[in-house]
Amino acid sequence: MNLPASHADGAGVYIIDDDRDLGAAVARLLGRHGHVAEPFLDPALLLSVYAEAPANCIVTDIMMGDLDGFGFADRVRMIDPAVAIVFMTAWPTTANAVDSVRRYGGLDYLEKPLDEPRLLAAVAEGVAWSQQQRAVRARTAGLSTRERQVFDLLVQGHSNKAVAGHLALSPKTVEDHRAAIVAKTGANGLAQLIALAR
Amino acid sequence: MTLPFPTSAAIGDALRAASPRRDDLSWLAGYAAAFFLAHHVAAGWGGQGFYSLLYPAAGVRMALLWSRGPRLTLAIVATELAVQTAAGVIAPGQSGWVSAAIGVARPALIYGSVAWLVRRIAAGARSSLGVAPMPLGLAAVAAPIAAALIALPWSLLSPELTGVVGLRQVCASLTGFALGDLLGVLLVAPPLLWAIQAVRDGPPPAPPGRRQLAALGEATLVLGAAIGASALLIRIGLGLPATPALLAVAWIGLRFGRTASWWAIAIVAAIVLPQTAGDLPLADRLALHMSLASIVVVGYLAGSFADAQLRAQADLARRDRMLFQAERLKTLRAMSVAVIHEISQPLSTLAIEAKHLHEITVSADPEIAQTAALIDRKAAALSTLVRRLRRFGGRAVDEPSALPVSLLVDTVAALTRPEAKAARVTLEIAPVDPDLAILGQEIELAQAIVNLVRNAMQACDGHVQLTVDRHNDRVALVVANQCHNRKSAQPGMGVGALVARAIVEAHGGTLERATHDDGFVRATLSLPLAGALA
Repeated sequence: MNLPASHADGAGVYIIDDDRDLGAAVARLLGRHGHVAEPFLDPALLLSVYAEAPANCIVTDIMMGDLDGFGFADRVRMIDPAVAIVFMTAWPTTANAVDSVRRYGGLDYLEKPLDEPRLLAAVAEGVAWSQQQRAVRARTAGLSTRERQVFDLLVQGHSNKAVAGHLALSPKTVEDHRAAIVAKTGANGLAQLIALAR
Repeated sequence: MTLPFPTSAAIGDALRAASPRRDDLSWLAGYAAAFFLAHHVAAGWGGQGFYSLLYPAAGVRMALLWSRGPRLTLAIVATELAVQTAAGVIAPGQSGWVSAAIGVARPALIYGSVAWLVRRIAAGARSSLGVAPMPLGLAAVAAPIAAALIALPWSLLSPELTGVVGLRQVCASLTGFALGDLLGVLLVAPPLLWAIQAVRDGPPPAPPGRRQLAALGEATLVLGAAIGASALLIRIGLGLPATPALLAVAWIGLRFGRTASWWAIAIVAAIVLPQTAGDLPLADRLALHMSLASIVVVGYLAGSFADAQLRAQADLARRDRMLFQAERLKTLRAMSVAVIHEISQPLSTLAIEAKHLHEITVSADPEIAQTAALIDRKAAALSTLVRRLRRFGGRAVDEPSALPVSLLVDTVAALTRPEAKAARVTLEIAPVDPDLAILGQEIELAQAIVNLVRNAMQACDGHVQLTVDRHNDRVALVVANQCHNRKSAQPGMGVGALVARAIVEAHGGTLERATHDDGFVRATLSLPLAGALA
């Protein structure tokens, strides 16, 4: 998957709610705070066009018609793992609140009527996280499969020798891969590689 | 049932519990007089080896034990000993007086134990045997039989005491004893207990409607036919059959309950007893009294059973009504959750747009700016209210957290003000020191205080105060209301106060209710303060 990092500059946010007025109001609110925000009535419609225009953050209602917010979150993550998701609901329950963060990787779980400062903070945090994810992905996108494997082991703290053992390569080959990784990502040493992987 | 080995402290407690209270003394004095009288009335049915075949004093004893509780057993024993000593039955110092005293004390002790045991068993019983008046019926039958059975070894071991020799005489003596007590208890205790209850609760409402008259007619017919049949059988020389009366009394008991069956029993007894007071041969007297006893026992138990059934049915109907009520509340809760949801959706939009409108009109025409600010404020207040209501109605359990008391009081105010207004009650809430904080679950504590405020609103004169004070390391929330007219009857089932107490105690606090001389009723909820709020 190779998503255009350039889109992140627009700080795109999608809002999904089956209440047209609320979706539009939230979009305008976010627009006033510097986000490019677009409301959607139907999550299925957004899924069908998402690949062409991914966003940094999606604010989605949970209780919707055919596809609920959690189902939508699963589907959209398969298309784009680097998108931040914020849930909102008029039927808050403790179980859903825990699930939304633990199982569906939501950044926050907002209760309607919305607490405005909290919504703005969650969206800002989501956009920042997504941009950082995209940056890392962009910098490691040029790695070959073998280089990717070496990179993953290195950032876990394994030495060249250990990596060689794991992948059944010679330490010399690992050193070559490592040099290639540093060259392709522009990282300056192991510490920066680890920072990239986070 | 386990009976723990008594420690000396437990014995002390038991003795304290068994000693009569001040208000028992007049009862015991009355008992002494009634016992003396009844004991001597019984002498008319006396005989060789037993005191009497009809012993109403046992009925007086059972009535007192049942109405004042088995805790009076020892006091009753003491009273009977005193009466019999005064009457010369026990003559201290003379030979055999200790045995005589034991003979007097034993039945009362056994009656007390049986009454206690029957109540214990009935309290845990699930069948209709545990439903009043069935336990009284069982105790009334079991106590005389137990007293006679326990007297058996004494009679065998020390025959010189009763002057009874040989197994035949012992059996006759004890049968007479049991019969006398049974008849005495079942004939005397029920009307005494009704009289005590009538004095305590006022006379029972008994309008003699058409149904009562029909019942009376039916009972008279049945009993009259039975007595007539017996009289006919006696006239033509076929012995003294008890079966017709037995069937009639059982019928009346099952159909019309305990009161009716007691009257039927009393009529039968009034016919039989004068005949046995004379000098009939012992065997005939015993046979007659045994027949009478079986009629009395069957009739009284049948009546008690019918009453217990009625009461169980009434209980069931009441439980059904409560169930319906609970079901309605459940529906109401679901509806209010749905309403909150429906409101929260448009309110979200409204709040966002109102805030925006407020922000962009700050420097506009002052009139527009003011209006926009007002709309924004109201929308925000409404949003807070909806969130609060939802948390209150939801099942979510939050972790205990440091909670400003002022916030708690605000929540309570928001939840109770509408109801206070509807009930025309002034709810006066004193300002709260914003630094006071406690550790607890907001929703539960709010529920506890709301319950207290609602109770206060329902109880009294249209003025309820809620104040918060600090006492050292505790905070006291006081809900006060003034009662001019002492009406103790409150709507509701008192569940609110129970719930409040449970919640407060779970938070390490206490809940006290006190009526003061100035007519104020104060519910004081005391909770430990949390450390200073960060």
